[in-house]
Amino acid sequence: MLLAVLAWPAHAAWQWSEPLTVNSVRGAKIFPHMESANRRNVAVSGTTVGVVWEDNRSGGTQCYLATKPAAAASFQPEIRLSQAECYEPVVTALDGGRFVAAWEEAGKVHARLLPGGKALTLSDAEAGQVTLAAGAGKLVAAWAEQAGRFRRIVVARLEVTADTLQVGPAQPIEAAQPTDEQGWPALAVAGNGSVTVAWEDRRDRHTVPLTSHSEDSRSFAPPVRLNDLPKGGGLGRSLGLGAGTGAMRPTLTAWGAQGVVAVWLDKRDFLSGYDVYAAFDPGTRRFGPNLKVQDSFGDNMAQWHAQIVGNADGRLLALWDDARDGTADVWMADWDGTAFGDNVAVPAAAGPGVQSDPAATLDASGMLHVVWLEQDEQAGTRVRYAHAEWK
Amino acid sequence: MKLIRMVLAAGCLWATAVLADPPPGYPFVGFDAGLKAAHASGKPIFLYFGRYGCAWCEHTNKVTFSDPALKKLYSDNYELVYVDAESGKRVTLPSGERITEAELGARLQAFATPLFVYLTPQGDKIMQIPGFKTVQDFRDFDRYVRGGYYKQKTLLQFLDGKS
Repeated sequence: MLLAVLAWPAHAAWQWSEPLTVNSVRGAKIFPHMESANRRNVAVSGTTVGVVWEDNRSGGTQCYLATKPAAAASFQPEIRLSQAECYEPVVTALDGGRFVAAWEEAGKVHARLLPGGKALTLSDAEAGQVTLAAGAGKLVAAWAEQAGRFRRIVVARLEVTADTLQVGPAQPIEAAQPTDEQGWPALAVAGNGSVTVAWEDRRDRHTVPLTSHSEDSRSFAPPVRLNDLPKGGGLGRSLGLGAGTGAMRPTLTAWGAQGVVAVWLDKRDFLSGYDVYAAFDPGTRRFGPNLKVQDSFGDNMAQWHAQIVGNADGRLLALWDDARDGTADVWMADWDGTAFGDNVAVPAAAGPGVQSDPAATLDASGMLHVVWLEQDEQAGTRVRYAHAEWK
Repeated sequence: MKLIRMVLAAGCLWATAVLADPPPGYPFVGFDAGLKAAHASGKPIFLYFGRYGCAWCEHTNKVTFSDPALKKLYSDNYELVYVDAESGKRVTLPSGERITEAELGARLQAFATPLFVYLTPQGDKIMQIPGFKTVQDFRDFDRYVRGGYYKQKTLLQFLDGKS
């Protein structure tokens, strides 16, 4: 019923702006990356767009933030967030044109309130793959932190008071030491304040996306597998070979009044590379059956860099890149109330050359903001941005 | 398909471990160490792109890479590199770009594991071969790569006229 209510008129479509270049420094040997946990590389606070990425313009890899007021014709020159080697920055929006960014630097994770603000170290031990989520008055961070031989997922509340960012105790999802690697956490704060976490977990000797949730950000429910087991456990398992199929890089979004939706890359069909799969939690804190996101034109292609983006009004879409037209383009599929619709290329992120690594967000008015990488071996890779209105 | 299933079923009679890591006993190293070693030794690189828990990787390890002569051939003549298709571990490409091992899969457009990539000592790709392969396949690939035939012929042309 909820899904039907949230269906959108079939005749409407995204109307796109002209694309802009975000990064002001480019070169053949400068490599911008957007590969953050939960793909949180763009956020919109009020009418200000914030974009984060990493690149090596200064020799070592550093993290950057660029902002643009909605009315401005271009992005302001970026500011550097880090002092030492930095990877996988994320950004989330507060109110009034303010953001919180987080990143891995020198083996630990850090966060900073922007504009202004000072960097705050979030992790005690070696850590990385930090992500952020805000909603229902909460600001939450999750990252992968060393605990004995392996990394495990921890979650912490962040508090903003005046111009200061503070971090609460880092809470492991599970009290026990990890028995294999955990990483790439995704976070969503549902409309009722419940926090859902998804991550890659190797305790079963293959990579499985697990999820857990918490009502108070302190105690978490026992982890539950996100992806369905293939019938019969898959060819390998039926023959006693391999521990299982692969699945990686889960992403989450809050959706509707209390829902959460997950999207991840899934290799259950071992002949066609990773496919994009989704699962819905309508507010029960239990994900339902898996749905394939890409359409049949993308079935024989490997999909990469998938992300799910939603809002409280029920808008929901998935983005990723694949090379079905010969070279990598950015594709998206809108949820129509019963299924993900036809795959549509982001116009400015399609065509000759490589356009990849999309990250997106919906602002308070429902406007879609997308960033991606446009690779050019001679001139250097551009971080590109466009917004779209549904009408 | 039935034949493949029978072969796999026979193979699994003696299957023990479930991990799909590099085959035991081979001197596989990480990407950065392998490229550095290749620069120094002048040997081509044999890159095994595997996945944790991968059934066909385990099958290849047990059926093919268990061959002692193949082990000696590849250990002696290649810098052996293992990359995990889903890992966030960082590697440095010959261009100087730092990416994750998983991202390397995206760059290679890897659609199946195992994926075997042959590279020059400078890190330039010669060819990539997906899926299970036999001992004889790997012997043919070795002749194609180290014999320099890849400079004049496609792999299929070479295999058609192989001697």
